[in-house]
Amino acid sequence: MSDSKKIDVLIIGAGPAGVAAGIGARKEGAERVVVLERDWDLGGILQQCIHPGFGLRTFKEELTGPEYMHRFIQQAYDAGVEFHTNTMVFQIDQDTNSVWTMNKERGIECLNPGAIVLTMGCRERPLGAIHIPGTRPAGIYTAGTARRFVNMEGYMPGKRAVILGSDNIGLIMARRMIWEGAEVEGVYEVRSWPGGLRQNIAQCLDDYGIPFHLKTTVTKIHGKDRLEGVTVAEVDDSMIPIKGTERFVECDTLLLAIGLIPENELSRMAGVEIHKVTGGPVVNDLLQTSNPAIFAAGNVVIVYDIVDNVSDEGLIAGVNAARYAMGKISADIKRIPVIGGENVQLFSPQYVTGETDTTIFMRVTHPIESACRVFAEPGIYSQRLRYARPGEMNEVKIKAEQIKALGELKEIMIDIQPL
Amino acid sequence: MSERKFICVSCPLGCGLTVTLDDNDNILKVEGNTCPRGESYARSEVKDPRRVFASTVRVRGGKLPVCPIRSKTPAPKGKLFEIARAVAELEIDAPVKIGQVLLHNVCGTDVDIVASRDLAAI
Repeated sequence: MSDSKKIDVLIIGAGPAGVAAGIGARKEGAERVVVLERDWDLGGILQQCIHPGFGLRTFKEELTGPEYMHRFIQQAYDAGVEFHTNTMVFQIDQDTNSVWTMNKERGIECLNPGAIVLTMGCRERPLGAIHIPGTRPAGIYTAGTARRFVNMEGYMPGKRAVILGSDNIGLIMARRMIWEGAEVEGVYEVRSWPGGLRQNIAQCLDDYGIPFHLKTTVTKIHGKDRLEGVTVAEVDDSMIPIKGTERFVECDTLLLAIGLIPENELSRMAGVEIHKVTGGPVVNDLLQTSNPAIFAAGNVVIVYDIVDNVSDEGLIAGVNAARYAMGKISADIKRIPVIGGENVQLFSPQYVTGETDTTIFMRVTHPIESACRVFAEPGIYSQRLRYARPGEMNEVKIKAEQIKALGELKEIMIDIQPL
Repeated sequence: MSERKFICVSCPLGCGLTVTLDDNDNILKVEGNTCPRGESYARSEVKDPRRVFASTVRVRGGKLPVCPIRSKTPAPKGKLFEIARAVAELEIDAPVKIGQVLLHNVCGTDVDIVASRDLAAI
């Protein structure tokens, strides 16, 4: 791969963001666009998301994850995107932006593309990230690992499961376990609001009568070789277990659905600035990182609720990476910082250039269960909402002409406030 | 008159729907939806609740031991477990093409079960 023609745009990861980035880069006119994937097949995590609900916005129909990716991969091939599977990127050099790859047939290669797009996605928070006393027997998995076992490898993780955390993956897996004949004793969420979409609580838990316990968590793990059960307890407002509420729950499987973390080992190696709250690269509205030749899109930047947003961002990053590779992005573009107000937990992008219309995606810190307003000051955007919930992202839309009209703008403040 | 409440599952918005019924369970009004899909979901949920079923089937000689499948159209909610059992008995040969019909008219529901990915043979 390295001794042939120069790569204009190199994309790392062939999930929804990477495949869309490939399409975007080719459509913008980049000659050689290469997507690297460590797995033997394309599609990333959507290969295991076999449930419907994908692509409603993009394709106006309800597709499963593999079906959604199938369409994008087809488009990418049609657009002339080049894919290399079974290829692991293990290093990006900070000074030269050289990308080092490993593949069984081609060995180790060093690539020097015109621009790089980071689309490595995210990982699940593991058991080690939360401190649960007790033993460490077999039978404890992150919900995504269990999903891979069931949906791609044909194994059932167990017969009676408890789910800790209420991320979408956990909710989806609750239904999946039921459909495969297992029992799901309940879903336990330490916060007082759900982590996932209300749609998924309805169709994955309520449809099957699976109890959903808010402000309750697992306080102890029992079992020597195999998981035998967990102790659950209610928690107070500071998330401290309340004495006397402990209850033993028999189960052979504990699935963890306690959050996703952008996967940025390579980004760090490349010297890209990582945002301390999102855990992803700091980006501007062109999805350009602190290293002007490196772009990033999708869950590697900020964890999205729906894949349509990931694909949209992939396209944008691909287009701009191609423009950069062709020398079309000036080095002295504007960099207006976006500041999150008191109810904003996280958001992306963090800088606006005014070169393009953009959408800032954000999450609130706490649910606001009444009419509220999402806005960007000074006077850039205002939209009334019926509610705002941390499990459901909100959007602020900004037009390039608005930024141009405002002239010397020091910052843009975004927030959501009750009315 | 009576009221039934649903969370719309047609899209990630998850609107809270309220359906008002007369004494013969005829729908008088649907409230809380923000698009026409919400209204049709509420009507279907009262008269004939349906869900898309998605699972896997065993594959002989494939790059993966299982292949994802789905009901091509939403299937009656009350028949999902029956469909799950019918699907569990299936074993197919690789290669598999996306959209390939694996079960016609599953459990007499008029709904087809189709493969939802391409799966190459080893």
